[in-house]
Amino acid sequence: MKRAIAVLVRYAAIVSLTVMSAACGTAASPAPSSAGQPSTPPASAASQAPAASASSAPLAGSLNIAYWDYGPAAETGNKAIADGFMAKNPGVTVTVTPVAGENWGGYYANLATLIASGKKPDMAFTASEGIKFLAQNGLVVPVNKFLDSDPSAVAMKDDIAPALLQSFAYAGDITAIPNGWNDMVVYYNKKLFADAGLPEPTADWTWDKFRTTAKALTKDTNGDGKTDQYGFTWTSNEIFPGILPWVANADGNLVNDDVSAATADSPAVVEAVTFLKGLIDDGIAPAPNPMGDIFTAFQTGKVAMFGGGRWPSATFLANGFADWDIQLYPTGKTYKTVAGAAGYAILTSAADQNLAWALQRYTVSPEIQDAQIGTATAPRDSIPTLRSTADKTVAAGIPPAHGDLFYGSVDDHPALTPFPAPAKYSEYEATVLRHLQLIFAGETPVDQGLAALQQELTTIIGK
Amino acid sequence: MGFLSPSAVSFVLFVVVPTVGVLVLSLFQWNLLSAGRFVGLDNFERLLTDQRLRNVYGSTTYMALAILAINVGVGLLLAVLLETRMPRWLRGVFRLSYLFPFVVSASAVALIWRFLLNKDFGVVNFWISQLGLDRTDWLGSSAWTPISIIIVASWKTMGFSILVYIAGLRAIPNEYREAAVVDGAGAWARFRHVTLPLLSPTVLFLVVINTISAFQLFAEPRVLTQGGPGDASRSIVEYVYDTAFQSFDLGYASAVALTLMVLLIGLTTLQFVVSRRWMHYT
Repeated sequence: MKRAIAVLVRYAAIVSLTVMSAACGTAASPAPSSAGQPSTPPASAASQAPAASASSAPLAGSLNIAYWDYGPAAETGNKAIADGFMAKNPGVTVTVTPVAGENWGGYYANLATLIASGKKPDMAFTASEGIKFLAQNGLVVPVNKFLDSDPSAVAMKDDIAPALLQSFAYAGDITAIPNGWNDMVVYYNKKLFADAGLPEPTADWTWDKFRTTAKALTKDTNGDGKTDQYGFTWTSNEIFPGILPWVANADGNLVNDDVSAATADSPAVVEAVTFLKGLIDDGIAPAPNPMGDIFTAFQTGKVAMFGGGRWPSATFLANGFADWDIQLYPTGKTYKTVAGAAGYAILTSAADQNLAWALQRYTVSPEIQDAQIGTATAPRDSIPTLRSTADKTVAAGIPPAHGDLFYGSVDDHPALTPFPAPAKYSEYEATVLRHLQLIFAGETPVDQGLAALQQELTTIIGK
Repeated sequence: MGFLSPSAVSFVLFVVVPTVGVLVLSLFQWNLLSAGRFVGLDNFERLLTDQRLRNVYGSTTYMALAILAINVGVGLLLAVLLETRMPRWLRGVFRLSYLFPFVVSASAVALIWRFLLNKDFGVVNFWISQLGLDRTDWLGSSAWTPISIIIVASWKTMGFSILVYIAGLRAIPNEYREAAVVDGAGAWARFRHVTLPLLSPTVLFLVVINTISAFQLFAEPRVLTQGGPGDASRSIVEYVYDTAFQSFDLGYASAVALTLMVLLIGLTTLQFVVSRRWMHYT
């Protein structure tokens, strides 16, 4: 009887969660993140690919992969990886399970719901933002043992920037090998620079130089006394392409060294947020908008510069807009790259961890990585993890002209560490954004707003 | 009984069981992945000290009452106007115009409005600027964001109220109005003393339905403002969703959801009780 009641209660919980989730889960535009998204190998790649596994024994079994279904490209990319792996290993069956979510946080919530309902995938596509969430809940299998026993892993690791692996580290373990990533850079509209008589920015620009440049790019183009073209903007719905590059270059972070406490009211964060608020107050930047709106404003010449990873490139080039380039964020007290990665984590529910490792390894194979470069008119939305592959991008004629800065940034500069993503990343990011909204709207002074944020984050990170 | 069984089964599966599930969950601390821990009434105690919950209920009530008033009041006005003499094709155009937003996805509608209401790049502020006025921060200031949500949500849902009102107006026998005309009643007197009383069951229906749906506001604030700035335009359903699926605090989210359920049951009961004073049946 007790068992029957327990089953009933569990069923009730799952149904109510599903109803709650379905009722609330509207189709907001997916927010990009610091991380990469899955690559789609060309149709022929599977047949050309060498064996994925280090072992010579034929692989057999089945795998189910949960992935973030952020749009049609997600399904195509994940199915292509599954198909490619099955073509290489005829004894293996790979199925993919789309998991909805308005952003990474929503995806993790729905993934957790999926797991709670008893459906336990073998692997889950994940980003650096979700590593602590998966690890602290005992869901992810570290891959150290596989790396140690894989003779080819040394060469592979040497071909990956340490910061990318670091963003997938938890308690000294590597939780997965990422297969794509993004770092934050400044996009600029070349025509607007030329129209303003400004030279294109160089990597050694400072905050002061940036501010002067942005001011010169701010214009009232129709003479009605109101600004029509802004120098710079940043997104309101994410922290990676939002405030983090500024916080990092002020030599700060939103969390302490072991991600056990918030540092949102530290002098570096105050300095970064004050700088950005100053851009709004001086009319150089509009109020922050969701990233999708910024894409439109940038393409129509209403904003001259904004921050993002590689993913905006695909949107711009697909729309035939190519008169732009990228540059590193300006240097403040220091320069630190803000980067995050994504890959296929092996879950503790995996029936055959060795098989799952073989698939994870396959996603970092040269053929899959090469496909991640994309084409000149359709670049992929994340950077290949392998340096040797990423280095081919500019030579392949794929914009932007300064595309080498993507990998160069993480190779030549220190990365923001620790990766500022506590286990409750979704709640943490939403809280940061909620308080920043009030600060940037001018309804709360910077110091008071950050003090309130610090107080709330302390509760969230300390939970 | 046999006829009832399909709906009875779905009612039990999709209403009774989830409600019981939420009730049970509210007594636990559970993050979806670990084993839940029974905490008794702790989640309900927390309701009393949650300052954000009060703020969110404040903003939700403000937005919900405004949407309710617009839907019931302006909806009635527009329905009456639509029933006045006009070419048939024009009436069709108006009806379609009002109903169209209702059948379109709330998220899609909100996305379009987000572009229209953008402070710096939006069409609405462009025209406001043409009039020589300052740009309004529709989606960025605590004063204006709830108003933007009210405008968008009312625009989206008013078509339904208009449709129901039209049905109600047409159900009123013409003889009553003709009798009033014979008695010398003017247009306003006919509306005030004949149409409105006979329309009162329709009004009650719309008040109840619109109250429930307005308090369940979600897509518009989610897409337009993400509930901000701060919690200025956050709805209670957003708060429940965020608590459950951002904070992974299913127990507390369930407790908050129950407060909304109790509130709506209370409001609906109150509306039925009060309606006895002004309800007229033919």
